[in-house]
Amino acid sequence: METLLPIFVAAVRSGTPILYATLGEILTEKAGVMNLGLEGIMLMGALSGFAASLWGGSPLIGLAAAFAVGACLGLIHAFLSVTLGSNQVVCGLAMTMFGGGASALAGRSYIGMTIPGLDSWSIPVISKLPVIGRIFFSQDIMVYASFALVFLMMFFLHRTRPGMNLRAAGDNPKAADAMGLPVAGIRYLYTVIGAGLVALGGAYMSVVYNKFWAEGMTAGRGWIAVAMVIFAIWNPLQAALGAYLFGGVETFQLRLQAAGARVPAPLLMMLPYLMTILVLLFISAGKGHKVSLSAPAALGIPFYREERE
Amino acid sequence: MKKSVLHVLFVFFVFFSFFAFSIAVNAAPIPVAEINPGYVYIGPVGDGGWTYMQDEGRRAVDAAFPGLKSTIVESVGEGPESVPVMERLIRQNKSKLIFAGSFGYMDYVEEVAKKYPDTIFMHVSGYKRADNVGTMFGRMYQPRYLSGLVAGKVTQSGNIGYVAAHPIPEVIRMINAFTLGVRKTNPGATVKVIWLFSWFDPGKEKEAAKALIDSGCDVLAMHADTGAVAQAAEEAKTYVIGYNNDMSQYAPTMHLTAPIWDWEKLFSPIVKQVADGTWKSEAIWWGMKEGAVDLAPFGPAVPEDVRKLVAAEKADIISGKQAVFTGPIKDQSGTVKIKQGETMSDDDIWSMGWFVEGVLGEVPK
Amino acid sequence: MRLRAEKRIDSPAWMTFMTTALSVLLALTAGGVFLYLQGVSPFAAYAAILKSAFGSGYDLSETAVKALPLAIVSLAVMLSFTMLVWNIGGEGQALVGALAAAAVVRYFPVGSKPAMLSMMALAAVFAGGFWAGIAGLLKAKWNVNEIITTLMLNYIAMRLLEYFVYGPWRDPSSLGFPMTKPFIAAARLPSLWGTRIHMGIYALFFLTAVMEILLWRTRFGYEIRVMGDNARAARYAGMDCMKKVVGVMFISGAIAGFAGMCEVSGLQGRLQSGFSAQYGYTAIIVAWLSHLRPSLSLIIAFLMGALLVGGEALQIGMGLPMASAQILQGLILFFVLGGEFFQNYRVRIDAG
Repeated sequence: METLLPIFVAAVRSGTPILYATLGEILTEKAGVMNLGLEGIMLMGALSGFAASLWGGSPLIGLAAAFAVGACLGLIHAFLSVTLGSNQVVCGLAMTMFGGGASALAGRSYIGMTIPGLDSWSIPVISKLPVIGRIFFSQDIMVYASFALVFLMMFFLHRTRPGMNLRAAGDNPKAADAMGLPVAGIRYLYTVIGAGLVALGGAYMSVVYNKFWAEGMTAGRGWIAVAMVIFAIWNPLQAALGAYLFGGVETFQLRLQAAGARVPAPLLMMLPYLMTILVLLFISAGKGHKVSLSAPAALGIPFYREERE
Repeated sequence: MKKSVLHVLFVFFVFFSFFAFSIAVNAAPIPVAEINPGYVYIGPVGDGGWTYMQDEGRRAVDAAFPGLKSTIVESVGEGPESVPVMERLIRQNKSKLIFAGSFGYMDYVEEVAKKYPDTIFMHVSGYKRADNVGTMFGRMYQPRYLSGLVAGKVTQSGNIGYVAAHPIPEVIRMINAFTLGVRKTNPGATVKVIWLFSWFDPGKEKEAAKALIDSGCDVLAMHADTGAVAQAAEEAKTYVIGYNNDMSQYAPTMHLTAPIWDWEKLFSPIVKQVADGTWKSEAIWWGMKEGAVDLAPFGPAVPEDVRKLVAAEKADIISGKQAVFTGPIKDQSGTVKIKQGETMSDDDIWSMGWFVEGVLGEVPK
Repeated sequence: MRLRAEKRIDSPAWMTFMTTALSVLLALTAGGVFLYLQGVSPFAAYAAILKSAFGSGYDLSETAVKALPLAIVSLAVMLSFTMLVWNIGGEGQALVGALAAAAVVRYFPVGSKPAMLSMMALAAVFAGGFWAGIAGLLKAKWNVNEIITTLMLNYIAMRLLEYFVYGPWRDPSSLGFPMTKPFIAAARLPSLWGTRIHMGIYALFFLTAVMEILLWRTRFGYEIRVMGDNARAARYAGMDCMKKVVGVMFISGAIAGFAGMCEVSGLQGRLQSGFSAQYGYTAIIVAWLSHLRPSLSLIIAFLMGALLVGGEALQIGMGLPMASAQILQGLILFFVLGGEFFQNYRVRIDAG
């Protein structure tokens, strides 16, 4: 166990940025909007989180700024996809370009700087628990906040009125509209909040995980999060499992190398991706066609009141 | 009969190549304001590592030659997409000199150079040359070796970790030079290698560093682009040796030193040669003597005797007394590859595909 | 007073043209403001872009070289998008196509160009088809989501390429650098008209025509369009969606695989790490912007190629960083997207 423990600790740590992005995207997609621009939004989050921590003198200011910047980008996406009904796939890809470029341009002057960032903080009593204490409760507050967020979202989506409304907007906007729900408003709200969470995932990279800014530092994690949403079947708890699994397998192969394994490294590097497919296959084969049922039925399809006959 | 034809051909060939050579040597001087050097970069300038250092060098060159107008193109893939980039630098900006900043441009530099014989190309880290194509690189293995001396002295456990990007000769050569340094000051120590298969992924770099620290390494060295390894080492209070640039800001107390680039020392003489009309195609491989590579200032943790030792060895490298890859050198299986008293040729050093004794890890086959 | 959007019953051609022109104009204005803030003259910058993309025969040819793989891969993904199967693995399928072509050159080299090239194309087509077919089969059999599988297979393909060029296929005379031996002459697609445009362009025109007919003139095309519009209705009509998924994915991957072979045989002449230029993702944009019409995608791919060339032009001509070019590309896409709204909807202003 002593040798395996660090892998689990690392899995949670390196899964956390992916988890935030995945949770954000789940919220957005559940409301019926698909946002493929996660990579660009994460990069903007990483940059603004770093810059604001530097100027504001506190990592919390940085995280708040990242959320705000992400929310603004979400607003752009919402305007294009909800109000103008643009193609959401292209819009997301454009966002990836825009976010990557804008963060790079604005980030020029921050190259080579560091910030104190957010340090880890063990939760007093429960971090002493065997195994679980080390893995889950000796991390940093952003990790703890992500735990809370997972359960909060589970509760919110399935047990509260606004959560039901959110799902209605994503599953059957026509019916939701007939019930008098402001579908467009709901979609706006959760695209904005979702993008804010995605940006937090990026800020985790530059404020907590590493404490510097480098161009393109999310290195494809936004795309992994896009896959994780579906992997999790839009379920926040499963998103956590997926993110940790992904992070864990990647760490595992690095640690296999450290332990002197003789597998050619490129093949080892395939592991996280292969595992994702295999686990998804396992889930899908077990559940059959239920998987498609948990996808928001109106995902990616614009909705206009006037279309109601 | 046939023989005499061959002789004539041979004489003709010698004459012809001499003729061609003399043309190359007698290239006309080009006014500084008309050189318009173009720099083709593999990464964004904001990577904070390889490309960042190249651009620092370019800025210094621009400052040193008033009137010089340089142009950069960032994030140019190592594929056919690099061809129009170089061509446009020549066609639109009238670049007389192109620096291609990464190995993967090799075939494409060759292709474009054939089409534009009046433009001079300097290809970083390649080996294909032509009348108008030269190659350039720095003997980074020299400061790597020196940093190995430091690591060997500082380590307590004898376990040193090395986070490495890709298994290409350049990286392998560095690991070997470093290990030779380590074993010189600490014969029993070993260097454990983790391959990232990525030049740039701060998250992965950090995890690799932590994996090495958890496996008992008390000094880390690295060959990747960001300061993530240094930062991980500082957090775990493990000594670290940076790369590319001085990484002490990422690890203020634990940073020992770093082998660093000074691209200005490589770019600047080339620009001068082109301006003077003295440029000729050659394989430039400059080291500490020319200042192309160096060691960053020592961190607070490096003891005085180590500083003295490194200073002495550095002087020997500059004077040519210490060639780093001098026998006896054994490979991982213990077989003697370089005998006592022999020194590896530049070509052999250039293409090293095996690890020296003391490296734990393998070159993917 | 409030704004109201009303769906247009039909949009006349002049309307489509006007709105497109208007949105492009708006995009250029927004981009111009951005460029102005960067301290360069927007007019000079746009002139530089236009000149680099269309300024001379050379420029046109290079724009075409950029557009070629985009166009082929967009045809590939278009087919699957039509039936709402989200193949976002064009990147990986092109990669394995290139890999298979290189394998043929390595293990079965023949001197005859037509024979060599046909063998390579065949291998690339099957490899690409197989790669996408995996995702299709998993979807058909166990309803595994194809977005994940195709995305993950992209990464796996990249690692596979790395494995071969760093390992068994590494050219021993490359001094240890990760690349295969240069291809034999017979394995190179001939280039045309003294430019870098290669024979693949004929294949592109042929494929475009085939796809146009396949999608809009055959029963097969009709069925997958119906499935895309309404899967339930298709099932009522007795169409077997799941069986079609495998076929569509296979064809889709095969086309993308062919694009990969074209790149490696036409332009590179050997396989080396860092093979891809992210064409797979840009091709998705092309497919959507052309409204899944194969013939239209030719034009859109060319314009997209021009936009990519423009990125280089801004760096070379105006001294702007790459990032500025990316921002500009993003902005232009945003506006073009927004403009499509006005093609499909009429905005009414109601009093009260």
